[in-house]
Amino acid sequence: MIQGQRSLSRSRSLATVGFLSPGLGLLIVFVAVPILLTAWISLHQGSMAIPYSRMRWVGFNNYVTVFEQPIFRTALLNVFLYSLANLVIILPLAILLGLFLYQARVYGRNVLRTVLFLPYMIPTVAVAIVWGYLYEPQYGPLNEILSWLHLPPQGWLGSVHEAMLSLVILNVWQTLGYYVVMVVAGLTEIPQEYYEAASLDGAGWWRRHWYITLPLLRRTLAFVFVILTINTLQVFDPVYVLTQGSPVNSTDVAAYEMYITAFNYGQAGQASAMAMIMLAIVLALSLFQLRLFRSL
Amino acid sequence: MSVYTKSYRRPSQGRRWLSLALQYLCMVLILVIMLFPFFWLIASSLKSPEDLEALPPVWWPAHPAFSSYRTVFEVTPFARAILNSLIVTVSSTAGILLTSIMAGYVFAKHQFRGKNAIFVCVLATMMVPQFVMLIPLYRMMVALHLDNTYPGLILPNLANGFGIFLMRQFIAGIPDELLEAARLDGASEWTLLWRVVVPLLRPAAAALILFAFVFQWNNFLWPLSIVYSPEMSTVVLSLNGLRTYTSSVTFANIVMAGTAIGILPSVVLTLWAQRYFIEGISLTGIKG
Repeated sequence: MIQGQRSLSRSRSLATVGFLSPGLGLLIVFVAVPILLTAWISLHQGSMAIPYSRMRWVGFNNYVTVFEQPIFRTALLNVFLYSLANLVIILPLAILLGLFLYQARVYGRNVLRTVLFLPYMIPTVAVAIVWGYLYEPQYGPLNEILSWLHLPPQGWLGSVHEAMLSLVILNVWQTLGYYVVMVVAGLTEIPQEYYEAASLDGAGWWRRHWYITLPLLRRTLAFVFVILTINTLQVFDPVYVLTQGSPVNSTDVAAYEMYITAFNYGQAGQASAMAMIMLAIVLALSLFQLRLFRSL
Repeated sequence: MSVYTKSYRRPSQGRRWLSLALQYLCMVLILVIMLFPFFWLIASSLKSPEDLEALPPVWWPAHPAFSSYRTVFEVTPFARAILNSLIVTVSSTAGILLTSIMAGYVFAKHQFRGKNAIFVCVLATMMVPQFVMLIPLYRMMVALHLDNTYPGLILPNLANGFGIFLMRQFIAGIPDELLEAARLDGASEWTLLWRVVVPLLRPAAAALILFAFVFQWNNFLWPLSIVYSPEMSTVVLSLNGLRTYTSSVTFANIVMAGTAIGILPSVVLTLWAQRYFIEGISLTGIKG
């Protein structure tokens, strides 16, 4: 009996190792090791093709060089602004639309949810292509719609001041539905009794949601906040497809700058330094945000 | 939900109608904004070069032409790109499903030293941007002569933290008694996983298949980095190429036709899974 149990527990620990190793092994080879190698390359100088053994140690030189380049500082600033603008627009809209989807007594709510969620699931490259034609100043429909409203035509992607905002609008359209679905999931976990009690006390719509919904939605919103930050800080596809950083570097972002430094200029060391800086920023920001929301 | 409506002070009939009208207005407005890019995509793909150049812009072509849907297959190896995308996406989705179910089961139902620490590391991989691994992965594939090949496209995408996390969450909800009963009947861990656990996972597996398929189909950065010949191009990569080489507005119909075809699998899968989710929710509702 005891021996039987022992062999059982041994077969179970064999299963533990056997079931875990494919997934963990792949994550180690294709995620953990590459991160370490990126860190290693960032301290060395060399092209993309040179073997690891022949790379020259340069310490933190690449980091210094990268920060001395105005172009990378611009790219960092741009991606922060992009991230911030997305947060400011998406967070309130996601809460309002989530409440609407959850509460409205209208037919077709499921259709609305599907339609909101759909753009999130299609390739960003496809979204960028379609929006590129929508933004087309002469032949596109957006300036035509503006002219119906007697508003002046805009330069959109071609304008130094509007190109970044145009990319933000594109991203809001594509990803809003995903965050709305997260907010709806959070709303279903709030007990209805709270609202009943508040209504009996005579609290109106705004007060009910300000004092009940927002505090109880805290964890969901923290999650939305962190995912939104992580996703927007890595923006690459629409920039590569639509603007390539132009006009006048106004849409140059860190991921794009890193990509061309590596693949167009062949500077593996500097590109790796950029990647490590972005990794540090993403990790620091998301841990900071999670802690901030936990302490609230 | 019904309790919720009752709890409000009942507004007057007129105000109720007004609020309902406003709600429908909101909904229609959102629907129009969300669907307009799709409308423009389809409309443009059916336009003739003259329609595309017309000022003011033509909203819907007088004579919709489907010829651009044929042209797109003639100007690029688009059929090959679809095949490539299918091979890469189906392989990595299968890989992610397999590795995620096995690892998720262990994290949910097995006890061993260091489990929590390892699980936190798995979760942390979700926070790491794709481009952080890009240079070493590219060098690895070049060194193994796997650049511009299917294995090169597939290998880095056979497991991910999200899949393992999702599966662990669902499997943790399966009662231990069910597993113990099967163990007493002499089932090995392998049979237990595939005969007892997996059949209960169908809604979760559907969700994971949906996400894995769509994200691999949509992936741009990795194919962009390691594919260099048109024959190995994926759909998304071809779309970018089409747009780059046909910058003139009169070719927009071809680019848009390609884009419409390229988003079709993601759209169909999303609509299908939506139904699946709702089915799952109503089924568990009946049971509970």
